Amino acid sequence: MLFQTTTGASVGPRQEIAPARRDDVRTLLHRATFGFTANEFERASSMGYRAWLDEQLDPASIDDSALDARLAGYPTLAMDAETLVATYPQSSGGDVFVAQQLISARIVRAVESRRQLFERVVEFWTDHFNIDGTDGPLRYFKTVDDREVIRRYALGSFRDLLSASTRSAAMLYYLDNYVNSAGAPNENYARELMELHTLGVDGGYTEDDVKEVARCFTGWTFRPAGVPGLGAFLFRPLTHDSGAKTVLGTSLPAGGGIQDGETVIDLLASHPSTAQFLARKLCVYFLTYEPPQVTVDRVAARFTATGGSIAATVREVLATRSYREARIDEYPRLRRPFHMAVGALRSTGATLGNPAPLRGELFLLGHTPFTWPAPNGYPDSLGAWGSNLLPRWSFMSKFFDGQVTGSGISTSALFALIGGVAPAEVAATLDQRLTGGRMSAVDVAEVQGFVDSQPSWNGSVARQAVALALSVPSTQFH
Amino acid sequence: MLSFQSSCAEYSRISRRRFLGSAAIAGAAPLVVPRVAFASGRGTPRPTLVGIFLRGAIDGLSFVVPYGDADLYAARPGLAVAPPGATDGALDLDGFFGLNPNAAELMPAYQSGALAFVQACGSTDPSRSHFSAMRTMETGTPDDPQSNEASGWLARHLQSVSPTGAGDLRAISVDDLVPRVLALAPNALPIPDPSSFEFPGNPTTAAQRRSTIEHAYAATIPPLAPAAASTLAGIDLLASVDFAGYVPANGATYPASPFGQALQSIATLIKAGVGLEVAHYDYGGWDHHNDQGPITGTLATMLADLSAGLNAFYLDLSGIQDRYLLYAKSEFGRRVAQNGNLGTDHGSGGVMLAMGHRVQGNQVHGNWPTLAPNQLDQGDLRVETDYRDVIAEILATGLGGTDLPYVFAGHTPAPVGVVL
Repeated sequence: MLFQTTTGASVGPRQEIAPARRDDVRTLLHRATFGFTANEFERASSMGYRAWLDEQLDPASIDDSALDARLAGYPTLAMDAETLVATYPQSSGGDVFVAQQLISARIVRAVESRRQLFERVVEFWTDHFNIDGTDGPLRYFKTVDDREVIRRYALGSFRDLLSASTRSAAMLYYLDNYVNSAGAPNENYARELMELHTLGVDGGYTEDDVKEVARCFTGWTFRPAGVPGLGAFLFRPLTHDSGAKTVLGTSLPAGGGIQDGETVIDLLASHPSTAQFLARKLCVYFLTYEPPQVTVDRVAARFTATGGSIAATVREVLATRSYREARIDEYPRLRRPFHMAVGALRSTGATLGNPAPLRGELFLLGHTPFTWPAPNGYPDSLGAWGSNLLPRWSFMSKFFDGQVTGSGISTSALFALIGGVAPAEVAATLDQRLTGGRMSAVDVAEVQGFVDSQPSWNGSVARQAVALALSVPSTQFH
Repeated sequence: MLSFQSSCAEYSRISRRRFLGSAAIAGAAPLVVPRVAFASGRGTPRPTLVGIFLRGAIDGLSFVVPYGDADLYAARPGLAVAPPGATDGALDLDGFFGLNPNAAELMPAYQSGALAFVQACGSTDPSRSHFSAMRTMETGTPDDPQSNEASGWLARHLQSVSPTGAGDLRAISVDDLVPRVLALAPNALPIPDPSSFEFPGNPTTAAQRRSTIEHAYAATIPPLAPAAASTLAGIDLLASVDFAGYVPANGATYPASPFGQALQSIATLIKAGVGLEVAHYDYGGWDHHNDQGPITGTLATMLADLSAGLNAFYLDLSGIQDRYLLYAKSEFGRRVAQNGNLGTDHGSGGVMLAMGHRVQGNQVHGNWPTLAPNQLDQGDLRVETDYRDVIAEILATGLGGTDLPYVFAGHTPAPVGVVL
């Protein structure tokens, strides 16, 4: 009964906004959120491009109380490491529970937060300052790092973000700096700090700089178990190398103490290579795999001119002129599996129940948050992800067949999506409502061909049509 | 520090990878252009090449221990594996090198002549960055680290030779991602679990849905378009393989670890004769800067798993050893001197192993430059054998031919003698 033929409701563009501007808003939503929704498209179109971007870059201005209420069911998110360990002891599997809560919260936030651009930027920094939350105490520490480093400074000052990361128990443990001591240096963190977090591998540092930066961060550790304040940052002067150092050509006098590390953070945060490296990476993340140098240069200049303001830098990346220079409609970006999966929930209005079964689905998709083992973060390229298609098709099929326990598309949501639509208009309608009309003609025709091939039009066919619309190539891109 | 169990069954479900698990390929993918005009009919059957990337840089000096070099013990007073005969001592290989006792399961393959090591082996790229070193090693451009080469050397090999089977599925990576060494390879797919590779959903509509997918993907860009075609063909191909009923031969027992299970799947595919030319596995977790534990710690556990897996594979395929050729290597070795935390930082020369068809086993190959301080390269073991020379023998001799000037442009391989 739900899918009887009618003439169907119009889903065409609103008349008061010129089509070109509306296309820009549509592109913005595809790039700046975890999934296009028809409702957000209408809202953003009404606001206008700049106003929507202004709002999203000021996340505190956005009422997210519904999400906050839901996240109140995840008390681990607000705890410090000491409280986590005490409340959820490892002996009863508490460490695994804490790590799983963080992954679940990640899913909930990506699907349901109204601060969508903020959540996308959080994902960017999570990869940039990657920490494998499956490893030993990181099962506890990553929850603190996520809150106090990544989310706290995601749109703030890069200098503050970097500084917080250098003091994070999770990072200090993950890259071994917690044992980096005078006379017994450990280079692991120093190398990745420059290669991955700031300058980039071609950013102009040498092997000697790696050794010297390692010396600068000797004694930077965290409070161990057995003393109050587990996981809090701790500088141990007695294990700090007090000799003179030279980093990137700058002399650091002997006896600098904790100031050695501070000086390195300043040098790295303000270095031109860092501006270039971050600008390019942000352009890749939001725009295109091989961004034009002119765009990268302007974004880097903005970063430098604002003293490393991340919000200002992201605004420059998402400016319409950046879109035009990067010709992003000609060079689509592949959505990574996490983005595609949560986007499917968002775009279709599906219900997100207990996220635990979705964690299992993300595992099968190869993209569980906080579990990438290497310090470079999950890859973000067409080559890396573009051949692993079957898990995508399987996820869509299972999800819309109702095989992911607790979550799925309700009958009413399905009706809102394509109820009352003529069978011959199903694919075109899905294109409008799931993407704003960005699917390829071939994909629309193929999805419609499936609908046409079925002996009757019913809820089961509708579910399969939705799954197919989110399995064809156009919807893998954004 | 807190003590943490390393294995937790529940948690392993969300942590398939280990530290430094996969370095995936980057960049846009141009069209795959086969180098050979495929004649009608199929190429001659060749051994399946099994590539294992030990990501994170395995400590070759703790694995294949140069116990005969006294400078090892001077550089690693708290870390070096003791000589044969001592408590927890190495197992003698050739009077100079000894195997870490946790790798004892490799001894049967080694002593039978199926398994060989190459010491002081590695890349000419001086980078000590994991990610740069992996990139140039996998693209095969270590002499030109700034190269924009997008394809992997293994991909170029596959482009150079005719498929041995139907060619629908020539290479798999038992992983979620395609490693860079297979970037732009024809008919190559990541398949994390080959035993579960089925078209999803309602069987009564599967044919129509499959048709939709097939036609939609035929119209899109690489690598999605060719990957979709390979995926659909691969679904049919793998459906013909009885993974569930597989019984390893000769009493072989694969470890329950991800590595062991991947090797069992690969052995199953080799025996099934489905024309698989390459299987690749990323084994991460070898970046031991801290508390390395070659005898009782992390490295010990991992060496035991590596060895148990390889031994099971060796036993399972003994008798049909001409059906495979396996190698394992890292992006670089580790520094000769231990660091302050009973671990090791990034180094240069390392160890490589080869097993299977035409491998000249029961030997440790390669010139040994010694660990004398004045022989080291910035504190690191010098690279005496270029990894490309070992690979060249594997491809040209072991697999029966390749287009070496295309696979490793600008490099003239020197003989090593690992595969003859």
